Amino acid sequence: MSGPDAALVLERVSRWYGNVVAVNDVSFSLGPGITGLLGPNGAGKTTILHMLAGLLRPSAGRVSVGGQVAWRNPAVYRSVGLVPEREAVHAFLTGRAFVEMAARLQRLPDPRAAAARAITTVDLEGAADRPVGTYSKGMRQRVKIAGALVHEPPILLLDEPFNGMDPRQRLHMIGLLRTMAEAGRAILFSSHILEEVERLADGVLVIHAGRLAASGDFREIRRLMTDRPHTFVVRSSDDRRLAAAFMTEPAVFGTELRDGRLTVRVAEFGGFTRAVARVARGASVSLFEVAPTDDSLESVFAYLVSRR
Amino acid sequence: MTIFGEIAQITLRALLGRRRTLLMLLLAAIPILVGLLVRANARPGPVDVGAFLDAIVIRVVLPLVALVFGTAALGSELEDGTAVHVLTKPIRRSTIVLAKITVAGTLTAALLVPSTIVAGMLIAGLLNTRPGSDPITATFAIGLGVLVGSYLYAAIFVALSIVTSRGLLVGLGYALIWEGILAGLLPGSQVFSVREYVRGIAETLEPSSIESIVGSSAVAYAAIALVAASVIASLRLAVYEVRGGE
Repeated sequence: MSGPDAALVLERVSRWYGNVVAVNDVSFSLGPGITGLLGPNGAGKTTILHMLAGLLRPSAGRVSVGGQVAWRNPAVYRSVGLVPEREAVHAFLTGRAFVEMAARLQRLPDPRAAAARAITTVDLEGAADRPVGTYSKGMRQRVKIAGALVHEPPILLLDEPFNGMDPRQRLHMIGLLRTMAEAGRAILFSSHILEEVERLADGVLVIHAGRLAASGDFREIRRLMTDRPHTFVVRSSDDRRLAAAFMTEPAVFGTELRDGRLTVRVAEFGGFTRAVARVARGASVSLFEVAPTDDSLESVFAYLVSRR
Repeated sequence: MTIFGEIAQITLRALLGRRRTLLMLLLAAIPILVGLLVRANARPGPVDVGAFLDAIVIRVVLPLVALVFGTAALGSELEDGTAVHVLTKPIRRSTIVLAKITVAGTLTAALLVPSTIVAGMLIAGLLNTRPGSDPITATFAIGLGVLVGSYLYAAIFVALSIVTSRGLLVGLGYALIWEGILAGLLPGSQVFSVREYVRGIAETLEPSSIESIVGSSAVAYAAIALVAASVIASLRLAVYEVRGGE
């Protein structure tokens, strides 16, 4: 999305710390809906969220939120709610006192009622009058979310919001964020867990080593991630014969036999997994194990960056 | 409640809810304890209230207590991340800074002004105080100087905690090295010393209480330093960047 309706805009934004480039020439534009900011730890996700939240100055480029420049502009917080990754909340405050404080600092006309609504929204009524210091990690996460949405902002930024939540709380939070997105809010959340983003986000921004590796519809990115070169380790009754048989397959571009282990490099994940059983059967070889070796998110992200 | 009051209240609870309160109470009790000791072991010869309060309160306890409260009021929250919940609200940065300075200064003054008065009274109650001096008036004059110094030190240390994450260390360096050593070696540097402003205010109120280089100009210097520290703190907080990003 672009143009005046875009809620969150980064235009050729970079951020560096001394000689270290944390975010490198990133541009995107987001409107209402849920977008996942996906990338491994240290990729630059928090830096991007902090720049959008006006807590970091971009070294280059322009960051705007709701049509306003985010940096050095406290007025922007009327329309933005931020849920930081760090758990820090004053331990002596009760959950209710924390959310009411957020409501008063937002100058809401009825802070008590607004806080009660936000606490109900995050399903924390039962523990609202206990000090935050006694909360579990998941409860702290929820009270921070209540504090961020107490003024019902049209834009919500969440840094790793599911950290520490149990499966039931995750489901509840996914439902809550979906409802908020359906009401027209722009929600951007960061995560390093692929499945989390897949379950929740309409769109996805993949960040790796400070660069925007991919963006758009999740299914398209999922396909790119799947159809990349892979390496498999295969164990069979006759590795040498199987290696020769694999070389006739168009999906395979290399095999290696070393230390009694057959490694197969393939051009395309789907093509190879469909062909492997047929090739083994044709060569009269029994398969014992077929395992991909490089399925870490890190390698997926590195591949996506290298394609650009 | 106003925004200022809301921030002040949370700051007060954060500062009082920790072990530092006990430590600060102990520090504030030192002048009284030493006063009791002096009184119990009073020897022949004059006792100078001004010199006594200068050595214990103005040189040691005041900068230390103000340093702890001043750097913790905002610096601790910036370090542990709790400040983000206030920084991401539509609030003027000067409001945040003034609330922090007010709370840190008030806590320092609330502990040290009574401590100064009680300790001074213990000494003033001795028969053999310095001839020609009015020890009770001197005590109250120094107490007022400590009151002003509490807010002034608090403002400087709040500003320092925004400028550097090592505010406590730099503040200690200022109190020990700048005010403690350099002021003795380079008398001109005392113009930039809170300690000297506290003395000057006391001297202006009661000339026999204590001697200072800056004299009655201390009031103007203190006012300029207070405004400058508050403005610098507000400007620095407006461009403050959170730490701990990836």
